Amino acid sequence: MHTEKIYTEYKKFNAKKVFYILIFTIILGIIALGALLHGPSSIGFKNSFTALFKETGIASAIVWELRLPRIIMAILTGCGLSIAGTVFQAILKNPLASPYTLGIASGAGFGAVLAIIFGGSLYSEYLIAGSAFFFAMLSSLIILSIARLKDPSPETMILAGIAIMFLFSSLSSFFQYIGTMEQVQEIVFWFFGSLSKTGWKEISIVSVMIFVPIPFLIKSSWKLNLLATGDESAKALGVNTTKLRMQGMIFASLITSACICFTGVIGFVGLVSPHIGRMLVGSDHRFLIPTSALIGTILVLVADTFGRILWAPQVIPIGIVTSFIGVPFFFYLLIRRTRGYW
Amino acid sequence: MTRFITKTGFSLISVFILLCLSVSGTTAVGQTKIVEIQDANGNFVQVQLPVQRIVVLTSDALEIVCALKADNLITGVFTGISREALFEAKLKQKPKVGDWREVNYELLAELKPDIVLCYARSPGKNLEKKLNPFGIKVIRLNFFKLETLDQEIKTLGLILGKAEQAEALINWHQNRLQFLQEKLKGIKNPPDIYIEGDSRYHTAGPGSGGDKMCTLAGGNNIAKNLSIPYPEITCEWILKNNPEVIIKVATRGSYNIKAKNIKTDIKSKTRLVALKTIQEEIMVRPAWNHIQAVKQKRVHVITNEIWAGPRAVIGASYLAKWFFPEKLKHFNPEEIHKEYINNFHNIKFQGKYAY
Repeated sequence: MHTEKIYTEYKKFNAKKVFYILIFTIILGIIALGALLHGPSSIGFKNSFTALFKETGIASAIVWELRLPRIIMAILTGCGLSIAGTVFQAILKNPLASPYTLGIASGAGFGAVLAIIFGGSLYSEYLIAGSAFFFAMLSSLIILSIARLKDPSPETMILAGIAIMFLFSSLSSFFQYIGTMEQVQEIVFWFFGSLSKTGWKEISIVSVMIFVPIPFLIKSSWKLNLLATGDESAKALGVNTTKLRMQGMIFASLITSACICFTGVIGFVGLVSPHIGRMLVGSDHRFLIPTSALIGTILVLVADTFGRILWAPQVIPIGIVTSFIGVPFFFYLLIRRTRGYW
Repeated sequence: MTRFITKTGFSLISVFILLCLSVSGTTAVGQTKIVEIQDANGNFVQVQLPVQRIVVLTSDALEIVCALKADNLITGVFTGISREALFEAKLKQKPKVGDWREVNYELLAELKPDIVLCYARSPGKNLEKKLNPFGIKVIRLNFFKLETLDQEIKTLGLILGKAEQAEALINWHQNRLQFLQEKLKGIKNPPDIYIEGDSRYHTAGPGSGGDKMCTLAGGNNIAKNLSIPYPEITCEWILKNNPEVIIKVATRGSYNIKAKNIKTDIKSKTRLVALKTIQEEIMVRPAWNHIQAVKQKRVHVITNEIWAGPRAVIGASYLAKWFFPEKLKHFNPEEIHKEYINNFHNIKFQGKYAY
């Protein structure tokens, strides 16, 4: 009888988490639809809606070629960065771990800087994305190699990540220093982050790189939960903590690199979404991963929509708006929270 | 008493010198002359003539120094000289002392120039603080603003003892501007123009050089009423405004890069391919086939060399030709460019600067 009661309570507890996920999915759907039907052009709600299903010339082009790719990219980026942030925080057992504090974003930034300055005859947006991706992965591999050489503890990984962040930031600054005025301007714009350059081709590449590792990470949810109880107890329960850390690091880095190589730096999302998610659904990664993914997606989509609407037709870069919107919300949750959640 | 007389004497001489300067702007001290000029910040700077050694930190100033036939006075150049296709050959051996942002003070002091030419705001005021003790004067002239270009050429001509050459250059410049103004007189419906910088969807808003160029060439910049000079705008907004002409400004970076080899970027053929590639990339952007300019193939690419800086009037001539192809049917802006390069730089004209 007692076990049954506990089980009922547990189901209720989980139902609450599922409810949050459902609510966030509905909110995301509404925001996405709003962003799809509203824009600076004069085609209006009705025409935009019709254009979704019927070829209507310019309205169809706006909806299918401009708005939809942008919305999907915002969803992919928000989802990817948040999942990566959640995994980094779990495997490193550190609330400050994110793609930015670990130097992966700095690596991507350095890659973009190199491509802009020394692109040569191959210069294109794909070269920038490719180079950003390569250096983001390289920074992650350096962290992993150091962790393997020394010991794969969270402390080693975090310290190596911070060192990598400073190294790549300094290298980026150096190449900006030797670049021309125009190249420096281009670099600054890249670091602001933007979803304007997104097309269907970019979406297909990013989708593959995000959706291939996600099943593995979701499958590892239980192991991540056990890791939170401490390495010793996780090991005692049969988790290979070293392997889990290495795999988590590689997959989370892959997702991060895929997201930011096309969009530029979109900060804060990867750090804050897991925290908001944890405040709402707790630390069970089976629920935390989808919740923080949805929160991150909503945050990026809202930021992008606000960035386009607030000062229309001028665009406030998404990298700036995500922090404008996310920080006050995060503060609100932090102050309202009465007990520790981490 | 003697000290008092000496002191008074010096004071009187000083007052006399200052009086002379305020009247004529120049005064003679023994064999040399002192000239007082007003720089781009509105500050008065005294320069001792003749100036025999100069260091140039900006490409715009370099072009004017060469146009005034004073390149023999250059003792130091900026580090990016290798990107200056027109002047690289004769100046690449000169010591490189820094760039428009930062200089190596030790190298500069060692070169002992009489003056250093730089932009109004960059490098910072520290430049004067560090160089004045060495007797090096910092002359801040921009040479990239159309409205002050002639005055700045005149000032530099005065400093370098090239007043005649400066006058010739100013006359040429004013004639070109007058020609444009006459041709564009009475235009009632200026075409709507979208200007884009190197970065995609970054346009030229109010107060930008691009906006001024567009107005000078008789166009209506669709971004003229936005809030900031270089905003990013949404693609949808461009579609909504449906510009009749699109101007893409290719800065040195982009077309050099596309020209495969920086050393050959001035050659007509490689440049042409590079500019054409940029134009084609614009024409196939998502949904842009609905824009008038793309439909009518009125998408043009212009290089930074004739967009801002001393050759802006040539850029404006190209714009006018593109905006009013019927009205300016027999006008060829490339001829003006050739005239400038041949007459003022004694260099054989080559390269493509617009497409």
